[in-house]
Order: sequence, then structure tokens, then C-alpha cells
Amino acid sequence: MRAETLKGHLDGILLAVLERGPGHGYAIMEALRVRTDGQVDLPTGTIYPALHRLEQAGLVQATWSAAGGRRRRVYQLTPAGRRALEAERSTWRDFSATVTALLRPTPLPVNPS
Amino acid sequence: MTRQRPPEPRVPAVERYLAEITARLPGPREAHVGIVAELHSGLLDAADAYQSAGLAPSQAAQAAIREFGDPARVAAGFSAEIAARQARRAAVILLVTGPLVGLLWIATALASHLGIRLTQLWHWAGLPPGLRVTMALVAVAAGVTFAAALLGIATTGRLTRWLPARPRRAPLAAAIAGYGAISADGLGLALLTAQLTTAPGKLSPLPAVAAAAASLVRVILAKRSARQCLAIRASLT
Repeated sequence: MRAETLKGHLDGILLAVLERGPGHGYAIMEALRVRTDGQVDLPTGTIYPALHRLEQAGLVQATWSAAGGRRRRVYQLTPAGRRALEAERSTWRDFSATVTALLRPTPLPVNPS
Repeated sequence: MTRQRPPEPRVPAVERYLAEITARLPGPREAHVGIVAELHSGLLDAADAYQSAGLAPSQAAQAAIREFGDPARVAAGFSAEIAARQARRAAVILLVTGPLVGLLWIATALASHLGIRLTQLWHWAGLPPGLRVTMALVAVAAGVTFAAALLGIATTGRLTRWLPARPRRAPLAAAIAGYGAISADGLGLALLTAQLTTAPGKLSPLPAVAAAAASLVRVILAKRSARQCLAIRASLT
């Protein structure tokens, strides 16, 4: 799945990854790859601006941590981030149900005789 | 006891890649430090992962750089965020310093023998017309500064969750607030100069010097930040 396909859903996806616990940029990308069996083909560099955008919106909180000898910026969901993720989920459920129904192959109409 | 952390290895290819990103970022250098440090540790994490998978160090660094993607694209992603952060900072500084500088000028007006009383600040009937008009202009400039700074702050914080993304708006608001502050402070300084040339003896020196110094500093800072905000705004497409 390419970046263009994911566009518009990246924020929700990042929030969903962080729901399982705090993580730094590279760990979030790794989690994304593992959870999608490598189906996500996103330049790792684009994750970071997206995380900063979420931070600005108050949906995640970032702190510097030096665990393991390397300084990393660790992101964590805020209560507002959790609510935004729930909203994103229900929007997606409605959207996918609608599109699934629309795309379902329909049997040819029987000609009235 | 805290042990000194060994410095991160310097990987030339990674440094070059980060320099390519930095060169494309808008705003002052100090706004890039955190971003570059974060990308740097991410790149080293990625390179470590490739090395664990069996690649030689130099190949691992190249693979990490490939994984992070086009530097122009990464920099473009950060531009809006930097613009918002700079605009917000400028707006907050203007909003906080405005009332402080204003109080110094009011103190100057009250302490000097100009016939201005606290009540007359709001009922300007007794003042000469020139002074009255200039004070009205100062009030307008201060009002514009206040409104634009508030807009700059509001559109760069939590509200971004619901607002449509328009990254050029906040730097413009912050620049307007900056020029509003320059106008208000400049008019204050002009009034002071006029008083100094006509009747310097009536001025109370201590608050006058404090107010003038505060306004002068604010004019210089506001001019710099307004220009910076406009430059950042121009760099956003």
C-alpha cells in the first residue's frame, strides 16, 4: 500500500499504533510494518512530520528519553488522542461498510416478462 | 550516579542526508535542532536494524537513508509545523510583552507633569488634540496587535484538530501582530520625543527611560520576528 492510498488516514493509523503504548518514530514505523505484514510502503521520514502535527493538535505528547544510550523522542497518546482515535474508528467503520455495500457485485436484474 | 553517554557515531552519509533536509527547512537554525536530532536518532536506529540483518555499516546507512525517503519531501512535511511553531512563539511574546510595555507608558504619563490623570486616560477631553489623536492611534495599534496575536495562537494549538489546514494563516497573523506592535511602540516613542523637544522638564525621567527602553527593544524584536514569519510564509507553497 503506497503513501498516496493511505493519505488522509495516516493520523488515525499513527494514533492506533500508539494506543498499544508509547513509542519513538522508528519504533512506530516498525510496528506499522509488523502489523500490516509489510504491506505499508511509506517513507519513514514522513512519519516524523505527521507525529509533530499530532503533537501540535494535542493528540500525542512527546518527551525526550535516553534509554539504551540513544536520545529518542518518545510519543504517547493523550486523552484527547484516545477520543480522536475512537472517532476515527467509527467514521472508518461507517465509511467502509458503505463502500463495501456499494462495491459488492450485484446479480443481474431479472427482466420482467 | 549518571554515566556520561558515549557520543553517537558520525556517519558521513547520514550527516549529508540531514544537511540536505536542513537546507530546505524554513525559519531560524534553532528551530531545526530538535527535528534534526530526532531524525538523526531515527536514522541510526534504522541503520542498526539493517546491520543486525547482515548489512555492512556503510550499506546499512544507505539503506536507512533510502527508507527515510526524499529529503525534499521530509523537509516539506516539517515546514508547516515550523511555521506554526514560530508564529505561535512570536504571537505569545507580543501578547505577554504588550501589557507590560503599556503599563510602563501609563506610569510615565501619570508620573510626569503633563496634566494626565488616570481618569483622563479614558476621558481624553482635557488633552491637546494632537496627543489625543496619537493616543487613539496607539489604542488602535494595540488592539490590532492583540487580535492578530490571539488569532496566531488560536490557529496553531489544539484548534488545529478541527480547523482546515492552512499553514500560511498563522505566520501572517503573527506578522500583522508584529507590525501592530511596532506601530504602537513607535507612536509611544514619537510622543516621548515630541515631549522631550517641547518641555523635557515635565517628564518623570525614570519611568520615561524604562518605557522608552522597553518599547525600543520590543520594536527591534517585533520587526525581526515579523520579517521571519513573512519569510516562512513565503516559503510555504
